[in-house]
Amino acid sequence: MYEVRFHGRGGQGAVMAAQALADAAFVEGNYAVAFPWFGAERRGAPVLAFTRVDENKINIKTRVYNPDYIVVLDEKLMDFVNVAEGLSPDGMAILNSPLDPEEVDLGMSVKTATVDATTVALEVLGAPITNSAILGAFASATGLVSIDSVKQGILDIFGPRIGDKLAEKNARAAAAAHDRIKIGKCKAERTYPEAKKWLPTYQEMPLSLATKPTKTDSGLVGPGSSVENKTGSWRTFTPKYDEEACTNCLMCWFYCPDAAIKRLEPPKKVGFDMDYCKGCGICEEVCPADAIEMVR
Amino acid sequence: MKMKDLPEEDWFVNGHTACPGCGGATVVKIAMKVFGPDTITYFPANCLLVFGGTYPLNSFKVPYLHVLFENSAICAAGISRALKRLGKTDTSVVAFAGDGGTADIGIQALSGAAERNEDIIYVCYDNEAYMNTGIQRSGATPFGAWTTTTPVGSVEAGKGEYKKDIPRIMMAHDAPYVATATLGFIPDLLKKLEKAKNKKGCFRYLQIYAPCPPGWRMDASLGAKISKMVVDTGLWTLYEFEDGKMTINKKPKMTPVEEYTKLQGRFRHLTKENLAALQKYAEDKWRKDQALAEAYS
Repeated sequence: MYEVRFHGRGGQGAVMAAQALADAAFVEGNYAVAFPWFGAERRGAPVLAFTRVDENKINIKTRVYNPDYIVVLDEKLMDFVNVAEGLSPDGMAILNSPLDPEEVDLGMSVKTATVDATTVALEVLGAPITNSAILGAFASATGLVSIDSVKQGILDIFGPRIGDKLAEKNARAAAAAHDRIKIGKCKAERTYPEAKKWLPTYQEMPLSLATKPTKTDSGLVGPGSSVENKTGSWRTFTPKYDEEACTNCLMCWFYCPDAAIKRLEPPKKVGFDMDYCKGCGICEEVCPADAIEMVR
Repeated sequence: MKMKDLPEEDWFVNGHTACPGCGGATVVKIAMKVFGPDTITYFPANCLLVFGGTYPLNSFKVPYLHVLFENSAICAAGISRALKRLGKTDTSVVAFAGDGGTADIGIQALSGAAERNEDIIYVCYDNEAYMNTGIQRSGATPFGAWTTTTPVGSVEAGKGEYKKDIPRIMMAHDAPYVATATLGFIPDLLKKLEKAKNKKGCFRYLQIYAPCPPGWRMDASLGAKISKMVVDTGLWTLYEFEDGKMTINKKPKMTPVEEYTKLQGRFRHLTKENLAALQKYAEDKWRKDQALAEAYS
């Protein structure tokens, strides 16, 4: 049996990738299951998906805690998610990154394959949707499934959802990524803060819960405690602000859904709180003075 | 109240987990800036409940309560009556419900509360489908819109029925204050929120347009623009109904609905006939709203 964990963001298609891999393994005569795991977060938040493949019937129903392979669809995830957590030392990481494997730091040294799936996706699909390209890289890096089965898996899973034409394009993206991987070993220099494993039970909640935010062992709770949740990590595009051009009309401040734009004491105008900016680009759109530009 | 007079402090703080560009989050952020700290909020099941209150975190600095999907107006009315008993008549009790929780699931409670003239503010943030559960059609979904339960295929293409006009239903209750607003017209929105806050002791209903980028299949940056366009096309009339008198706040430019629909993936499949039907609906709606304003003048 081998177990694969996919790391992506809501809306990137990690779940469909996991299902397509399971389908590819099934085409080759294996048993396979695929399922997602996500919280109540929305588009852009980190999500997980799992694929389990075996020659025999699979009776394990849990999440994959000790994967043999991890697949990362968005390289920015590595900055704040310990993607290699629980990865088997003999396992392998397949990453969407333009870097060489030796330049990547996962916090543990394992066999690593990198592929610039974003570029492949932009070339073949015309959009930065990397879930199909990364599967091609998985096939060539691990040799566990053939590229033809992966293409079949993509046609089977993507076809009914996005149409056969687009599914075929995605299959081509997988084939294009197949030959563009770099294999090596990644660095193990950074450490990630230990992830919170449990949420507090209601008995553990402080009595002051209803009146003021309170620090507990599992973080802040109570009114306004969501400030602990730094949603800035979801961002793909970042606002670039030109204070000279700004007329201080406050349109951006009004429309920002995340209250990430703050009014400052004059003569300063507005400031951006990058801890919370999700990069939606409303500020750029509503700015009448073109003082804000969204950049990658 | 002008935009510049809005307080800097938020009572709906950042760190919530709404999608990038969420219209509902902006609506609630602004509404809470106007309603202020002396507010108790109620939520039925909706996106806001999920992205604003993911256990153990909470984005609201004011008390908030959730019981069930269908009883927003009842629970809010209960809070309001309890406060009255305690002698606290100044506190605003606000129910924030989505369009599904208002037009379909919550309508009996809403109708009852309006008929009994309960002392609450009911804000429906209208994103035109059940977005929380993954984009299913609601009564407030517009004609032709794709949702997961009105798929586009050879038999049908998007929703075949027209949008349920909830503000008009509320007007039929002779509710003391009914208003429609969008994020596209800021002074109008702030005026209505403030009026709803200050008109104490009676039932107040606000329907605010809330763009949903994932559900409408549109770019996350377009929320403000689309909120303006929907009024210009005539698909959404800005009006208020106060003590039996209806005033239209903005005469639509009647721009072609196609300009509005082409920005949204949920309308991508619309044929010429569909667009003509939607255009006719917009014109009829404007005509009817004008006639209503005349009748209630």
